[in-house]
Parts: sequence; structure tokens; C-alpha cells
Amino acid sequence: MLVPADLAYSPDHEWIRRSGGTVRLGITDYAQDALGDVVFVQVPSLGTSVSKGQSFSEVESTKSVSDIYAPVSGKVTAVNDALGDTPELVNSDPYGEGWICEIEMSNEAELDALLDAAGYSALTGA
Amino acid sequence: MPLRQTALHSTHLALDAKMVPFGGWDMPVSYPRGTIEEHMTCRRFAVMFDVSHLGTVRLEGAGSFGLLQAVLTNDLTKVAPGRAQYTHLLDPDDASVIDDIIVWWVEDEVFDVMPNASNTERVVRYLGGFDTTATRSVIAVQGPAARNMVAHVSPQAAAVGRFLVERVEVCGASCVVAGTGYTGEDGIEIAVPNDHASVVWDALMAAGVVPAGLGARDTLRLEAGLPLHGFELGAGITPLQANLNWVVGWKKRDFQGRAPLLAEKERGVERVLRGISTEGRRPSREGSVVHTAQGDGVVTSGNFSPVLGHGIAMAFLPPPVVEGEVVQIDVRGAALAGRVVALPFVRKSASGA
Repeated sequence: MLVPADLAYSPDHEWIRRSGGTVRLGITDYAQDALGDVVFVQVPSLGTSVSKGQSFSEVESTKSVSDIYAPVSGKVTAVNDALGDTPELVNSDPYGEGWICEIEMSNEAELDALLDAAGYSALTGA
Repeated sequence: MPLRQTALHSTHLALDAKMVPFGGWDMPVSYPRGTIEEHMTCRRFAVMFDVSHLGTVRLEGAGSFGLLQAVLTNDLTKVAPGRAQYTHLLDPDDASVIDDIIVWWVEDEVFDVMPNASNTERVVRYLGGFDTTATRSVIAVQGPAARNMVAHVSPQAAAVGRFLVERVEVCGASCVVAGTGYTGEDGIEIAVPNDHASVVWDALMAAGVVPAGLGARDTLRLEAGLPLHGFELGAGITPLQANLNWVVGWKKRDFQGRAPLLAEKERGVERVLRGISTEGRRPSREGSVVHTAQGDGVVTSGNFSPVLGHGIAMAFLPPPVVEGEVVQIDVRGAALAGRVVALPFVRKSASGA
């Protein structure tokens, strides 16, 4: 399983890429593999305020549905509209074209609680 | 209890299959190409499934026909030796479907009764016979090109017609081959002694047949409108509710559960299984509530249809609900618009591809 070194990770199998006061996030390679073929992604609405740990998005595969939990608090400032017609991007390119949304952080200190690549690898036994 | 492994278990691991527990067995849910591609390959070409987890109960001898005819719902006089028949085993008290079964009528006084994985013991309890599940493997080859592909391995097996059953030698092993399946496509199922299972599997792979897992088997059967025990059939569900009146041999003097089923037929069913086509890709799921103008129903199976590109579901609805009617399904708090449609959702592909 791919675990890029430059990303942060949540124990809920999300990856987080920070740029300034904003983070972009998606689900990890491990998560997409476990889910199987993704057929639908409920992206959050633009402008939604979310708090850390809140379920705010869903990824559905042929097997099951998984909640996506906000890894940080803030406001949703961008969503990946391409997932509407091609949710399979989550499988084929989980860290790139398969991103889910961006959140403008309200409390950057929350980033400290996330895992680094080594910590996430240890968690998944990868 | 440890999970049981089929004779093809190491073959699946070597193919890098994702394994899941199913009915007490460790089974492949998908191979690396994934459920959707496996599904589409079955609709367009040919795939094979290891379905060794299905039970086989062999009944032999002079009393076998009479026993099966007296217990199971369908009428064996509609078929003959060398043919297969879909049938139900009902609860004697409330006509619930204890199991749905394919009977392979192998020879005059030889029947292979094939229950669902987890129901084999219960079927033996009512029918007797020998549980031969542990001695043989079953490989289902399905899709419009299935017979053409099987012909590379065994022309005789490839020629076993729809719902026919024949003893055939495949790769040097004495097999029972039936023109049955669970995908809505043409195809055959090969019951092969365990020691030859991987030889037959490998020969089919070499011929170009693509392995597929239980994930695709489930989406395929749903598109084909075929019931799955534990979802569309089971405790509290009768064949009439599941819209399977054709499985019931009403002309027979008796079968197990006939009296309570007849009583339900006379007073009318309170719910009936229907197909619902939903808008968009979001699938509804088992347990989702369906709102109709005639009252509420419940989804038994729901998923994304790879062929249609939108959600489909089977659901128990109030009987007055008719095809074409608009319904609304609650999916985790969201309202999904749907329309009642005829089953199957997807018809059989033209064969010979």
C-alpha cells in the first residue's frame, strides 16, 4: 500500500495535505483497497462548517458505505466535483485525482494530533 | 469455528484475491481487477466463480423421487432425469422459505440437491441424504462467451444445455455438469472432485475465462432480479411474497408448508417483492425504508448497477403498488427518488460473444 511521506493521516484512514491555512483530504490507498470499487461519493456542500471528528461525507463501494470524518475543524472551501460522474478516481488515484474536499482550518493546532506516514504505516501494518 | 476453505483456496490466494467470510467459508470477494470489471466481464464475455461453498446433498435410491416430491414445493414431474429444477423447502408451520435449492436430477434415482452454504444441515434434516459438499468443488462459468470458452477445455461440458444435467469427463475427472447459474447469463456449473478442481480452474483460466468473486456474483444476481436467501427469502418470507408462485407445484397433492401457503394465497399476500430503479449512482441498502402512496415498504437488497449506471433495489412493497409508480427511499437520512420497475433490471446478453 502506498503511504506518501509528505502527507498527514487520520486513524480513520484519511490523508491530509496542508497548504497554508487550508487542507485537502481524501481516503488512503489502504482504505480504497479495503472498500473495493467505489460507486458513489457524497461530497460535502461548499461552505459547510465542520468540526473535527464529525461525519461529513460518505464513500460507497459495491460492498458497503463508509463515513468520512472531518480530520480538522473549519469550513469546506472546495469539493471534487469530478467524483460525481467518476467516483472510481478514489480507487485509481486516491492521493491525486481522487481527493474529496478542502477545508479552511479554524484551529491549526488540531493538525498536531494527526499521524505521519510512519505512524500510519504502523497502524495499518503496511 | 474456523472458516472452511474450498479446494481452490490456495488458487485464490495465488491470484491475489481479497478473501471474506461467507456462510462459514473463506471466499474470494474480488480479484485485483475489482468487482465492477468482473461484473462487466460476465455481461460481455465470460467469468468463473468458485461456488464450492454451496452445499451438495446426494439422495439415491428408489424412495428419493417420492421424498423430494413430497417435501419440496416445485413439481418434479415437470422435469425428468438429466434436468435441473429450482425449488423451495418451506417451514411446515408458516411456509417461510427455509432454503431455495437447485435440484440436479443426475440419473433416474440419483439427485444432487444444492442448498445455500449455511443451510445445508437444515436441508439434510428434512431430506436426509449424504452431505457430499466436502468431496467436490463447484465452478460456475457464466457469460455470453462462457460456452465458447468451456469448449476449449471440454466440448461435451460446453454442450450441456440450459437447465440440463449430465455426467461429463472434464480434464480427466468425472464431473457433473449443469446448465445453471446465478447471474442472469448463459453458462454452466461444473461439480468436480476436489483433487481435480485446480486442474479444471487452471484450464479455464488458460482458455481465457476471468475469475470473479462473490462481490460481482451479488451485483450480477441483483441486476438479474434473483433472490438471495437471507435477504429476499428466509424466516417470515414465503414464496408468494417473493413473487415466486411459479416455484410452487400447486397441482401436487402435498408438499411441506402447503396448508399455510394456501391460506396466505387465499387471503392475499400483505407484501410483495418488486424492483425499484433509483436516480443517480447512490445505492440504497438492505433495510432502507421505502415510502409509497399505499404505505411503506423495505429494501431487501440495493446496490449500484454497473450496466445501468444507477442504483437498483429489490424491496417488499404493499401489493397495490404498481409498476411505474414513483417511490421515495430513505437512505441514511437522504431521500432517494425511485420508480417501481419490472424484474429483471438487466436482460440476458446475446450469446456467442
